[in-house]
Amino acid sequence: MKDLVRVKTLISSDIEALLNKQIKMEAYSSSVYLSMASWCNRNGYDFSSNYFFKQAEEERQHQLKFFKYILDMGGNSVSPDVTNIKQEYNSFREVFEEALDQEINVTQSIKNIYARCLKEQDFVTIEFLNWFLKEQREEEYKARRALELFEVIGEEGTGRWQIDKHVGEIKYDSQA
Amino acid sequence: MYSNLSDHPHLTEVFTTAHGAVFQNDTDRCWQVNFAGKNARFDYRCLLKLRTAVYRIDIEQRLLDSTKSPDVEIIFICACDHCYVLSLAQIIALRDLLEGTFVMLELNQIIYDRLHRVPAYI
Ligand SMILES: [Fe+2]
Ligand SMILES: [Fe+2]
Repeated sequence: MKDLVRVKTLISSDIEALLNKQIKMEAYSSSVYLSMASWCNRNGYDFSSNYFFKQAEEERQHQLKFFKYILDMGGNSVSPDVTNIKQEYNSFREVFEEALDQEINVTQSIKNIYARCLKEQDFVTIEFLNWFLKEQREEEYKARRALELFEVIGEEGTGRWQIDKHVGEIKYDSQA
Repeated sequence: MYSNLSDHPHLTEVFTTAHGAVFQNDTDRCWQVNFAGKNARFDYRCLLKLRTAVYRIDIEQRLLDSTKSPDVEIIFICACDHCYVLSLAQIIALRDLLEGTFVMLELNQIIYDRLHRVPAYI
């Protein structure tokens, strides 16, 4: 009996399902960042608003990377429903706390796919995921740095204005 | 059902239960699903859609829900030619059949790897 399944697709249906879940997660992240950009803009935090606009765009690119990968491997990419996007935040700081939480969730989720790939010896997908692991280093670093500004600068007086200004300058250029 | 498989040399039995059977057709690269009095032909995409449609049905919830709707489910698969109208018991049977089928297809991939693709790799 021929192995018709393998002829059709390089990835297993379990991996395909996990990658589709990741597509949804990236799409969700993108929408959340957009909502954060809106909130910051409305409240006068222009640099942070721009920062989140850029993040939203990046998450969209991540989503497309996964989307195209599944299709390239002969699988079925599912365009996700994205609902329940929070539109209001209680404070400037809360926005950044949730941004970091979100990035941590993404890292954990990608690690989970990686573990599944190892189990199946799906080295092709592992190689694809390596880019995302590196990306998550940067994503978590930036989110963590932003949150630290609240400790370093403090929110009193013109603190929030200063924090906002510095958010615009966060960069990750590690050679490690 | 095929009373004599040797009359159909291009067909291989993938999985059989008391309620149905799935055969693989190597020549046409498709599968024949014998179930509920139907012998339906599925290519890979449609077989996956059938599986998704069947797995998606919440059997437990249907067993508990005595309020409305008759005890049948219509399984219509987009862009495939087939449609099933099944009772709850049949849905459970079809799920069994498909679960077994996909396990066997996975096993076939492992065997195929060992025999033809990476024979030295054990
Ligand atoms: Fe991302
Ligand atoms: Fe991110």
